[in-house]
Amino acid sequence: MSWKRWLFGRRELTLALACVAVAVFFQFLSPYFLTADNLITILRNSVELLLVSLGITFVLATAGIDIAVGGALGICAIFVGWSVQGGWPLVVVVLIGPLVGTGLGLVSAFLIVQGKIPPIIATLGLFGVYRAAIFLLLGGSWISGLPDTLGPAVNTIIAGIPLTAIYILFFYFIGWVVIRWVPLGIAIRAIGGNERAARLSGVSIGRTKFFVYGFTGLLVGCAAFLYVARYRNVETSTGGLIALDAIVASVLGGTSVLGGKANLLGAMFGVLLVRVLQNGFVLIGVPSLWEQVITGGLLIGVLILDALAERSHAQGRPRNRGNAPQWLATP
Amino acid sequence: MVGDAMISAFKQIRFGGLLVLWFVALLIFAVFAPAFFTPANFNSVLQFSTLLALVTLGQTLVVLTGGGGIDLSVGGIVSLSGLVIASLMKAGVPISIAALAGILSGGLLGSINGFIITRLRLLPLIVTLGTYYAYNGLALALTGGAPISGLPVSFGSLGQQSILAVPLHTLVLVVPIFLVMQFTLNQTPLGRWIYAVGSNEKAARLVGLPVAMIRLGVYILSGVLAALAGLVADSWLLSARPNIGDNLELLSLTATLLGGTSIFGGSGGLGGSLAAVLFFTSLQVGLQMLNVNSIWQLGLVGIFLIGSVLLDRMIRTAETK
Repeated sequence: MSWKRWLFGRRELTLALACVAVAVFFQFLSPYFLTADNLITILRNSVELLLVSLGITFVLATAGIDIAVGGALGICAIFVGWSVQGGWPLVVVVLIGPLVGTGLGLVSAFLIVQGKIPPIIATLGLFGVYRAAIFLLLGGSWISGLPDTLGPAVNTIIAGIPLTAIYILFFYFIGWVVIRWVPLGIAIRAIGGNERAARLSGVSIGRTKFFVYGFTGLLVGCAAFLYVARYRNVETSTGGLIALDAIVASVLGGTSVLGGKANLLGAMFGVLLVRVLQNGFVLIGVPSLWEQVITGGLLIGVLILDALAERSHAQGRPRNRGNAPQWLATP
Repeated sequence: MVGDAMISAFKQIRFGGLLVLWFVALLIFAVFAPAFFTPANFNSVLQFSTLLALVTLGQTLVVLTGGGGIDLSVGGIVSLSGLVIASLMKAGVPISIAALAGILSGGLLGSINGFIITRLRLLPLIVTLGTYYAYNGLALALTGGAPISGLPVSFGSLGQQSILAVPLHTLVLVVPIFLVMQFTLNQTPLGRWIYAVGSNEKAARLVGLPVAMIRLGVYILSGVLAALAGLVADSWLLSARPNIGDNLELLSLTATLLGGTSIFGGSGGLGGSLAAVLFFTSLQVGLQMLNVNSIWQLGLVGIFLIGSVLLDRMIRTAETK
């Protein structure tokens, strides 16, 4: 195996190196970049997206898609906000987000599995419903000025390691165990690769999809908890289009929207690269309005490089033409 | 014979279901907000519908050509080309040339989508997701988030004038464009090709259809139509807002799907999409008259979208039995 293949064949490694290179670049331009404070800030700004991207990576691996996660995050955040506001027991405050999130994820799964609706249509519809529900629940105003009871959950640093990093490592570890070491992980990738073949070889399509969307909902709920802990308010726009951000991160990380592949570490470094770039550009004086352009440019750039690399790599090999993309696939 | 007629009638039912929904909505408005049925209100429904109608016509064609066809960047193109037109006009360029430049820029932005998708054979969802960020972001970043306002009042005629309660832009843009596209889609070989590419790409390729060219073409057309929407918005508001196109991508996609076009491509049409757009805007305007927050429109549309697909599936299951 040549060094090129070794270096560029593994997406997570390429992205990690890109993160380092970008960090070194920004350090030259702004000495503040590589301080512990700033790095912790970057991490804290990435936490919600990291969790949602992990879920989206699972969903994409089954050749599905979930546009509704942003709306679901908003709804979960409202419940967490209420629980803090009402001074509910700590157990409830911690659990309500993940519980509501899992429930909403199962709704998506129900429509997709039982209703046999293509994931993109089901979750697009749910997105609209959730946005209206957020408005209804909030009554048009914001939940704001919450007490800082949840502050320690995001600000604590244990032995030099921020607690947020521990959450992320914990969930990504679980994700890795599932996708790599549990039969369920094989089922997930098998469904994404070829759903019919997976069904014929005895994979329970319904159960697997319920798990994937439910797990994503759980992560969305956790993200909502961390969101409320961090900002101490909930707006009608909370969650927004985080689904699209998460798809970008997963795709950057090497997960295909065609399904069958899941690169968890890639998704993690995908989020970090986007956030490092955004943070760095702000530090060197680029207005934060350029954030979206950076995200979009990065995605398009990586896609084009990828396609060109594959083209030179696979010269003369017939390409798989004419197959309908699987992310549209109905159950 | 009778069976065939039954099946084709069933296939129309989604379109029919949409009309029924629309009718029910109108009935509710008739009871609770009689003012809904005034020429002035008819005018405002059409006024609000033009942007979404133009964008949805493009989106429908993109989805029809299959291969995972989807254009998430339309909102960004609306905003960006609107800004191009406004800034040229502020620089003293004549209105017609500025408008033309805006439309060209829309076509250019659409062709960027089309080229990446067809040349590099990348998935439209991902490519237009990237350009969604790039175009929306550019519109925000280049203006610093502030609108370009103070356009010449004479430019407002396209967006503000009406003839017999029908807005001028509906008459000169939406109706003619719809008719031409509808004719092309149903009566010309090109239209057949679009359906053929959408329903079976492999077969279309084997027959010798220029699949890549057709796909490139629909993305360019989608960009041009989005630019026209930007032109109308500029002329209506006499200013260009960097976020005028926000949410148009999801709304136009929802209208397309609600209108009966299959997400897999190859079946559906423009009539349903246009009906869905009018349904949306009637709902929006009517709910406003009932003092219901217009966010409900989004929720209801979501429910209808899921409901219509469920209904469709049930009918198809019944058909095969």
